Amino acid sequence: MIRRINMKKWIAAIIFFTGCQLLTAQELTGPQIIKKVNDLLNPETMWCKSDMIIQTSSGQERTFVYESWSKNHGEKNLIRYLEPVRVKDESTLMLNYADDIWMYFPRTNRVRKLATHAKRQKMEGSDFSYEDMGAGDSFVKDYTSKRLKDQKIDDQSCFQIEMTRNPGRDVSYSRLVMFVHRDNFVPIQVDYYDENQPDRKIKTLKQSDIQIIDQIPTAMKIEMINDLDNSRTRMEMLEVKYNLPLKDEMFTERGMKQ
Amino acid sequence: MKILAVCSIGLWIFCCPLFARDVDLFGYFESQWMGAQIHKETIQLQSNKLRLDLKGDWDRVQFGGNINWITYHGKTRWQITDYLPANVVEQIPEILRPFYVFPFDDNSKLDNAYVKISFNKWDLTMGKQQISLGSGYAWNPTDLFNTKDLFDPTYEQPGHNAVRADVALSGRWNLTALIAPEENWDQSAKLVTTKIGLGRFDIAVTAIEKMWLFHDYSVLSESGFAGEAEKRDMVGGSIVGELLGLGVWIEGGYNDMRKSTDFTELVAGLNYTFASQTFIMFEYFYNSACPTKENDYTLNDWMRYLSAEQKTLTRHQIYMLIQHPISDLTQLGLSIIAAGDGSVALLPSLTATPFENVEVTAYANFYFGSETAAFNKNLGNGGLIRLRVYF
Repeated sequence: MIRRINMKKWIAAIIFFTGCQLLTAQELTGPQIIKKVNDLLNPETMWCKSDMIIQTSSGQERTFVYESWSKNHGEKNLIRYLEPVRVKDESTLMLNYADDIWMYFPRTNRVRKLATHAKRQKMEGSDFSYEDMGAGDSFVKDYTSKRLKDQKIDDQSCFQIEMTRNPGRDVSYSRLVMFVHRDNFVPIQVDYYDENQPDRKIKTLKQSDIQIIDQIPTAMKIEMINDLDNSRTRMEMLEVKYNLPLKDEMFTERGMKQ
Repeated sequence: MKILAVCSIGLWIFCCPLFARDVDLFGYFESQWMGAQIHKETIQLQSNKLRLDLKGDWDRVQFGGNINWITYHGKTRWQITDYLPANVVEQIPEILRPFYVFPFDDNSKLDNAYVKISFNKWDLTMGKQQISLGSGYAWNPTDLFNTKDLFDPTYEQPGHNAVRADVALSGRWNLTALIAPEENWDQSAKLVTTKIGLGRFDIAVTAIEKMWLFHDYSVLSESGFAGEAEKRDMVGGSIVGELLGLGVWIEGGYNDMRKSTDFTELVAGLNYTFASQTFIMFEYFYNSACPTKENDYTLNDWMRYLSAEQKTLTRHQIYMLIQHPISDLTQLGLSIIAAGDGSVALLPSLTATPFENVEVTAYANFYFGSETAAFNKNLGNGGLIRLRVYF
């Protein structure tokens, strides 16, 4: 008898909490979901080692291996290439959410400061721009979010969020449509629209192989598909660590050369 | 002697496995073909370069170096008088003209060899190392150590022997002090530069004292053209940042000369990347030491310019660059270099990476200027193809 009452209580509790969660998920607004996505994508500190495989429209492939560090929830970013030897030890420092970019070329021991417009440039010819890599809190600051009808992407239930560029913001996309996994808030697909033509989709980002690392859901495979150039770039996380003690000195000109 | 050689080889073999864990061996092979049309004759020069780099990193100690081997083939003796305007050649006595030759000799050299020790707030680097100063792309008035090749401003510069300290004063504020030792303290080059980041700008102030070696190409002695070293004190600086959405930079230096006339060099530039990925750049260079009119160019002006003892021939120069990626792996470019005398050099270029670790660079050069101008036809329209394989 006691067991039966306990079981009923458990079932009631599970239904109650599931209901609450569903209700909460139902009630979340676009900005609230984007805030959760932003918090998830920009932990206090992060280090990762990744492969970046560029597949050109002619089917050729180029593979890069790089390490990246980020701090202050994505405000500071440092990327250093390990392979191929052609670009070995070249590094890119992005501060203020990629508004300030410096590049270091070891063969000439020269550091060049790039202006904001340079963040539109392709990173090593890939389909990721510097803006895509180091934008940090851009989703929150540069766009206004609106929740659309939920959708299924690859059989996974997703929030659909439309993000429209705020007036006067210097970003390369007029509009983004993001599909956010309902359970873990990982954006598993992002559609990017042309700077001047809000109906023209130019790129699609897909994230998959979600693994929990240091209690943070992490996409181990990321792919950017370029609709204009008919090319694509895959990133595969080889190693990821969160909440490491990273010194501020690392995100300086001296840190780029180390 | 034999014992010493055997011991050296033995030590090397013994140490190799130890080093192998922490030492990287890498570099590139580069083959370059150059052709030009000079006075109805097509001349060719091919060079092959092997660069072998070695780099080690043990905790706070880093060491690195590279050796370059270069061989030249084809026309390896360039008669400089073929490229000079007739009014300048006339200044050279007929009997001396055969001495005005620029040789391309095979060579091998230790280009860089340094040790860098990192402390908490500063780094000490000793040995032959790259010294790169300034924010300009084609010209750097604050860099008294290197002269860039206008046709290829990003090509690596040679190493310089120096003792250098880089001090991190705060996040975006650092200071560099450097001494490049010569025979005595007085002749040694000294450099102090500090760079600070203020908002969207990086501001650098630089002071350099250096002996400037230049030649009098009208006086020939047994050991070659008469050389003279003069002390040069340069105070300058640079600002690089962003204005109205454009990347902007300005770099200048005032040169206090002990014997000759003081002069000022200044560079100002801007760049922009369009949404289409097209990149444009514009740079203006001013050098008060150079003449403004082409008829005023002397033999020494020409020779010092061609031998990279001075950065330009004319007082005013403009460099424009347009680059556009035509695919993920190929980029087209066009450089336009205009001199104050009205002459222009056009350099269409192409860079591509057809295979992993293989880089192809090709450019053509066309000159449009009167016979006495900086970019005159005598310099020879032509082109270059460079193939580089990294390993």
